[in-house]
Amino acid sequence: METEVVLFTLRVVTGIALFTLFCGLIYFLWRDYQSAAIQVEAQRRIYGTLVALTNEDGSSRQEEQRYPLLMRTTIGRAPTNTVQVLDTFASAEHALIYLQQGQWWLEDRHSKNGTRLNGDDITEPVVITHGDIITVGNINFRLELNY
Amino acid sequence: MQQEQAKQPQSLKWFYVISSVFLFTNTLSLSLQDNEGVFIRYWLPLLAWLGCVIVAYHFMQRRLANYDPLLLAIPMLLTGWGLIAIARLEPSFVLRQTLWMILATVAMLFFATTPYVLQWLRRYRYILLVGGLGLLLSTILLGQNPSQQPGTPQLWLHLGGIYFQPSEALKIILVGFLASYLSEQATILRHEHLGKRGQLLALSPRIAGPVLLMWGISIVILIWQRDLGTATLFFIVFLILLYVASGMGWIVLGGAVLVVLAGIIAYFAFDVVQTRVDIWLNPWPEADGRAYQIVQSLMAFASGSIFGQGIYQGAPTYIPVIHSDFIFAAIAEEWGLLGVLVTLSAFALLTIRSLRMAILLQKRPFYSLLATGLSLLLGIQSLLIMGGVLKIVPLTGVTLPFLSYGGSSLLASFIMIGLLLHISTKLDT
Repeated sequence: METEVVLFTLRVVTGIALFTLFCGLIYFLWRDYQSAAIQVEAQRRIYGTLVALTNEDGSSRQEEQRYPLLMRTTIGRAPTNTVQVLDTFASAEHALIYLQQGQWWLEDRHSKNGTRLNGDDITEPVVITHGDIITVGNINFRLELNY
Repeated sequence: MQQEQAKQPQSLKWFYVISSVFLFTNTLSLSLQDNEGVFIRYWLPLLAWLGCVIVAYHFMQRRLANYDPLLLAIPMLLTGWGLIAIARLEPSFVLRQTLWMILATVAMLFFATTPYVLQWLRRYRYILLVGGLGLLLSTILLGQNPSQQPGTPQLWLHLGGIYFQPSEALKIILVGFLASYLSEQATILRHEHLGKRGQLLALSPRIAGPVLLMWGISIVILIWQRDLGTATLFFIVFLILLYVASGMGWIVLGGAVLVVLAGIIAYFAFDVVQTRVDIWLNPWPEADGRAYQIVQSLMAFASGSIFGQGIYQGAPTYIPVIHSDFIFAAIAEEWGLLGVLVTLSAFALLTIRSLRMAILLQKRPFYSLLATGLSLLLGIQSLLIMGGVLKIVPLTGVTLPFLSYGGSSLLASFIMIGLLLHISTKLDT
């Protein structure tokens, strides 16, 4: 009689332990899903705008066009870029703008003709801010942040 | 990209504690109901498991700052559970399995903490692969089956009282080979600007040739040796890995067609496959004959109901070779739906964690592809056998990772976990 009671208690404890483990595992699954969703959201969030300005020679196919600024914005001639530059002086993968630790950085992706920030060629990633002019090929972009 | 999810090595202590409580109550319950050789059969494996957990946990905490703690905790829970299930089902095998577990833990810690171990896998890939294939070939000449019965597949090598299954080692080596080779070709495989021509170029023999050759040789030997479960696993994992590396959707579609085609051919070519498919379609007319095992397994699931019969209260030993391939049925009978759900979510979490790691490591294609391949091996293998035991897919003779009896399988699974742990430390750098 005594053994049966002990065995039953042990079964109940086993069941509770299993249930706790199950809840724990489901919690981890849920948390992973949440953090993945946050990351996807962050990548899709629009932080600002890149405005194409009038070309140097006065003719631009992209004049005053506005492009969304994402956490990782690529600029270049290839259609896979976030901002496609229809200019023969731009490389296929020309430049990259990204957000790192609260600051926006501009990086040249070893383009043929270089990327300029406010008229100066850049050789290494530089911090950029609201109102900066980025030149890719013959086209100038003005950075407008939303906040 | 910043990591929102901070690593918290401390927070998983409760998981280990509850795992230990779970295993302890089960062992106590077992030892109260069966009075023969209680210490050696039941308590010794539990103590060994506890030792392995403590050593592994502290070793990892000390040597690696930011590993993924779940990748250690889940395999440990499953292994301990497997030990108890084996002790209950086949007490004579439990000590051997305990020794394998200790060995496997040491191997896991070695692969998780030794620097450059992933680079070895990449650098010596041809030597490793030729070695692995050589071992597999040698089973054609020297292969044995631990049950010593004629007519069974001879997939093991016998060395000084130890049986080893080379196909388990080949699994890791092949995934390492595929990952390192495909990651070197990642630039051309992912070259979107080339368009249609580029896609054809990517699959030209110069690029896909070595991969197809090595994979083809492995599959041929496995089919020759009638190790069809592992062959199926290789087939599926290879196709998904190729898809992940190249991003071409039609590979998955074509692969699915190929799998079905291969299945139809195998149905007419091999008696084993014919039997398996027949009893999968309708086991009931032959419940006493060829389909005995699967029907008994379904009975076990049914009698387990929600909370299970309780350990040592069910009758899972009616199922032949329950301790290896069919251990999932024993879990269903004695721990019920609850046990099944815990097993399922544990494997799901293990796979999802590793795949997430692969996504976050996309900038380093070798690590990314290796994590994908290893997690797919574990995930698809467990899906194949769990589905097989439940008669959802035709039965393929693969083990359930961590839970099933089988030394080489346990060792291989732990080495995979070691490699995944190693990759998980690369996340923050």
